[in-house]
Formats: sequence, structure tokens, C-alpha cells
Amino acid sequence: MKVDVALFAYLSDCQPDGLGGRHARAFDLVEGTTVAHVIADLALPDQPRIVFVNNRHAAEDSTLHEGDRLAIFPPVAGG
Amino acid sequence: MERTPSIHVPACGLPGTPLPEPESEDVLRARLAASSVAIVGCGGLGSNVAAMLLRSGVRTLILIDFDVVEQSNLNRQLFFRDQIGRPKTEALAETLRRIDPGARLTLVQERVTAETLVEFVTGADVIVEAVDRAETKAMVLDTCLDGLPGTPIVTASGLAGYGSANEILTDELADGLYLVGDLASDVSAGLPLLASRVMVAAAHEAHEVIRLLLGVLEP
Repeated sequence: MKVDVALFAYLSDCQPDGLGGRHARAFDLVEGTTVAHVIADLALPDQPRIVFVNNRHAAEDSTLHEGDRLAIFPPVAGG
Repeated sequence: MERTPSIHVPACGLPGTPLPEPESEDVLRARLAASSVAIVGCGGLGSNVAAMLLRSGVRTLILIDFDVVEQSNLNRQLFFRDQIGRPKTEALAETLRRIDPGARLTLVQERVTAETLVEFVTGADVIVEAVDRAETKAMVLDTCLDGLPGTPIVTASGLAGYGSANEILTDELADGLYLVGDLASDVSAGLPLLASRVMVAAAHEAHEVIRLLLGVLEP
């Protein structure tokens, strides 16, 4: 199944094409893949992050579906 | 100019709903005066956001912070030397009441957790995330997006250092979540929090709150 994956800020360095940037890339995933699987496969650093699927907040154990748009945003300190 | 209460209260509709346009200043200010905003964190972002909202006409604020004013806060936060050692919520409320004695301020001097936060911010028309640590920002966003999915949240990430102020933008990151900042500039030895850039981010946050309260939908 095809899922679009966008990684924000420093996480964009983990996109497999190595090109960075916050725009989404199309991933070909097997049925039953969860957000946590994608995070593990991309070896995202263990830092605070917020997950969205189809523009809505989602848990990392959410199962992805054909056509979903996954976005992961890591807040950085400062206030 | 000092605004005096008028006998005629213009119909301003509910916060967040579109205003018929063009509207008079009275209607815009009445809408803001009827609104309530929760500010989580009263440091460099939150203290300045609170003052800007109040000056713009928002008169009901929930101010949340566990900390006390320290000397090191004075380089960017809306506090004064004679307030060092006092709870930030209390010191900020004192300053805000010098601007608007009739402001309705709810002070929460607590370190919020995922278990307590929703109760404190329930009833606000918009929530402002204005804490400092990345872990706390994530907790505030996770908790509010799950617990109060109908309440918009304005958050900030990436405001440290002396990079161009023009890199600080406001974006709708997801449904109901508005993100201010350059997304990247983490606080570090070479990237301190400078009043000018923190204020730019605070102004973006306050202005996004005002747009949300006036029912403006971001493109």
C-alpha cells in the first residue's frame, strides 16, 4: 500500500532519499504497518515527537492504510 | 485611547465563528472581549502573549505556570526586578491588571501533567502552548489534541538564536494545530533565547490566537 510520509525539522534528514525537506515522500508499505514500524524502520531518534495521520493527531500504535498521509513533527526547546 | 463600556453591546457571535464583514472595531473588540484563552507556560512566550492578547481586547485568560520569577528571566520575559522570587502567574497578573484592571484572570500555579492539564484549560476558546522544554511541548500537544479535539492550539517551536526574524512563520500543521517558529532552532550554547526573536514568536502566537477568535480560516 502507498502511504505519504512527511518528516519535519531535523527528522527530515531521516528520509531514505537523503534529500531532507518537509515535503512528503510516497512509501510502499505492507498491510498492517503501524506508525511505530515506520519510526523504527527510519531509525528516527528517540526525541519528543507528535504524530499525525491525515491531519489528525494519532498514536504511534495506529495502523496505517492505503492513501494515508503520515506526518511526524519534533518540537524543539525554547519559550 | 481609553475605551469606555457602552450600553449597546454589539452582537459579536461566538469566538471562532466567521464574522460578517466588514465589521466595525466595536464588533471585533466585543468578540475578543467575549473570548477566553488558556496560556500554558508564562515565560518568554507566555508572558508576552498574555500582554498582547490583553492589549488587543481579550479579557479572560487562564495563566498556567509552576515557576517563580528569576533574575535570568528578565532578558526576555515580562517581569521586573522587584518581582524576583514571586510566582510567575501572580507577578504577571499584577502587570496585566495595570493594563486592564477588569481582566478576568485565572491563575494556576502548578506544574501541569497529562493527568491535570485538560481540567485547567477546559472552557478556553484557544489554548496557547508556551512552555520551554521539548518534552513538555510534546506532552501539552498530545494531551490537548486528544483531550480537547475541538479546541484550537497555537504552539511554538524554533525561536532560539539570531537567525533572521523572517524565518519565523505561522503554519497550520494539522487540524486545529497552528505552529509558530522556524521549526529548527533549538536552544543551545550558540543559540540563546534573545528577546527580539522570542518576541517575534510570541507576537505570531498572539496574532494567530486573535485570527482564530475572529473566525479567520488559514489558507
